[in-house]
Amino acid sequence: MKIEEFKDFTIQDYHHLLEEKKISPLELIDIFLERIEEGEDKIHAFLFVNEEKAKNEAREKTDNWPEELPPLWGLPVAIKDNICTQGMPTTCGSKMLENFVSPYDATVVERLKAAGAIILGKTNMDEFAMGSSTENSTFGPTHNPLDLRRTPGGSSGGSAASVCALEAPCALGSDTGGSVRQPAAFCGVVGLRPTYGRVPRYGVVGLASSLDQAGPITRKVEDAITILEVISGKDSRDSTCAPYPPFSRNEIPSLEDIRKIKVGVPREYFSSRVEKVIGEKIQEALGKLKGEGVELVEVSLPHTDYALEAYYIVASAEASSNLARYDGVMYGLRVEGEDLQDMYFETRTLGFGKEVKRRIILGTYSLSSGHYDEYYLKSMKVRTLVRKDFEEALKQCNLLITPTTPSFPFFLGEETQDLYERYTDDIFTIPSALAGLPSLSLNCGYEGGLPVGLQIIGGPFEEGKLLGLALWLEKLLALPSPFPELKEGRGQ
Amino acid sequence: MKEVVYLSELEKIARLSKLGFSAEELQSFLRDINDIVAHFEKLNQLDLQDVSSTSHLGGGEPPFFSDEPQAWEGSEEVLKGAPWVAGGYFIVPRIVDKEEKENEDRRI
Repeated sequence: MKIEEFKDFTIQDYHHLLEEKKISPLELIDIFLERIEEGEDKIHAFLFVNEEKAKNEAREKTDNWPEELPPLWGLPVAIKDNICTQGMPTTCGSKMLENFVSPYDATVVERLKAAGAIILGKTNMDEFAMGSSTENSTFGPTHNPLDLRRTPGGSSGGSAASVCALEAPCALGSDTGGSVRQPAAFCGVVGLRPTYGRVPRYGVVGLASSLDQAGPITRKVEDAITILEVISGKDSRDSTCAPYPPFSRNEIPSLEDIRKIKVGVPREYFSSRVEKVIGEKIQEALGKLKGEGVELVEVSLPHTDYALEAYYIVASAEASSNLARYDGVMYGLRVEGEDLQDMYFETRTLGFGKEVKRRIILGTYSLSSGHYDEYYLKSMKVRTLVRKDFEEALKQCNLLITPTTPSFPFFLGEETQDLYERYTDDIFTIPSALAGLPSLSLNCGYEGGLPVGLQIIGGPFEEGKLLGLALWLEKLLALPSPFPELKEGRGQ
Repeated sequence: MKEVVYLSELEKIARLSKLGFSAEELQSFLRDINDIVAHFEKLNQLDLQDVSSTSHLGGGEPPFFSDEPQAWEGSEEVLKGAPWVAGGYFIVPRIVDKEEKENEDRRI
């Protein structure tokens, strides 16, 4: 079989092929490894390809075919490089962890493996998940497979690019302020940020502990459902994990009930800051739902305009605390010094890149004596207001639909005079992250070969309704799945 | 742009963060931080007096473990990645400060 035959495959399709023994795990892994070899010098989605171990594992599975196949048996999965994978590098895109090999698997990786998945490799990302383009990766940026001159987004840019280019059938990313949804939008694929606490964070390298969530990046909504079923559910090793069982697709309402869902359209997300074509594509998708009898309701999220500032204070403050562990003592980079303090300074100065240092400084400043009330306490109160906005809006509707990003994927290396302008890339994904709500991005159209991401936001632990609407909308839109040719310039 | 963060404060924050900067880098970071912090002033438009703060999103009681020892065999794996280990300990440079050391050396 050839890679192009998998263009429209779901995880279920791979599963059936394997069940019927029309392909072996070894043949399947070889096809993807070949695609990676074909694409990687142009895309650079992977920091580590697990070739030898993946093939050995595939060979072992091929030689020991069980009667009944676990749900992800033989399926290659790419993992963002801030998620711990035993025996493999976990660099977080940073010099600080360049040679760090994790001694354990994150819970999400354990669960994927228990379901029979094979880890294909670790994907590129902005350093310590700080960024929205992968340009902050110490190891060079990833290129958008749909237009190699452009960014795939970030920080899970490598994961999104690998799925878009079909170097992997699916991947895991992490989302703090939009780092699964934004790259999914930029690469024309599906990205799900589960409700905070739905998926365990044990083994996911911490950026901002009250915001981080691991989530699937897939080619179809159906696959996001399959992966969520595997990775979600309580874990005693993560005290912030909600005490619920794993998500089940039985939580998805019937189509008849989905049609009765009221969709809220927040006016603040359709302001002049959104590129005109993006706004038009979202309205077209809303028009399709309306044409099918879905009720659209205009709602307001009045504190949207303050969410970005609140987020950057909270996230930087938490990051400054989380990244204090990188001191050269127990793991990671160590640069020797005259004494212990000197070693800390030398290690951290050399080990972190500019954006990471910037956010540590910002976070430390926000938490410091004399500034705590002015910045951190204030931002936590704004967070309450943002949450209440969503609570009120979700009394008038069941789900919200917005653009995922205000603009199209920008060119790599594009200079911006205003540093803060780059932070506004996440302006539509940040509020729902602050509120801990589930949200998903799916492609709703192309303009000049570039995708437009549509975001659906749901109530807490209401992934069922969210995924149900996303499944149906995906069918209504009937867009082609990406399969870029990987030439210079536009590839789709 | 109004300067909210001054150089002396940035130097102090850098020390707290255990990050070293050249004079040129400090000036560049000073501009960046002031640029970002200027945007944070927007939050002053809101009346937050009677608003509670949200520090985390989990509800209910934090989970507890029973206070019983558990066997853990992972020490070797964890220590493998350490820069310098001896006798099951992480070895680091001298912690005693220079002045104390000089006094100690004088006493010997």
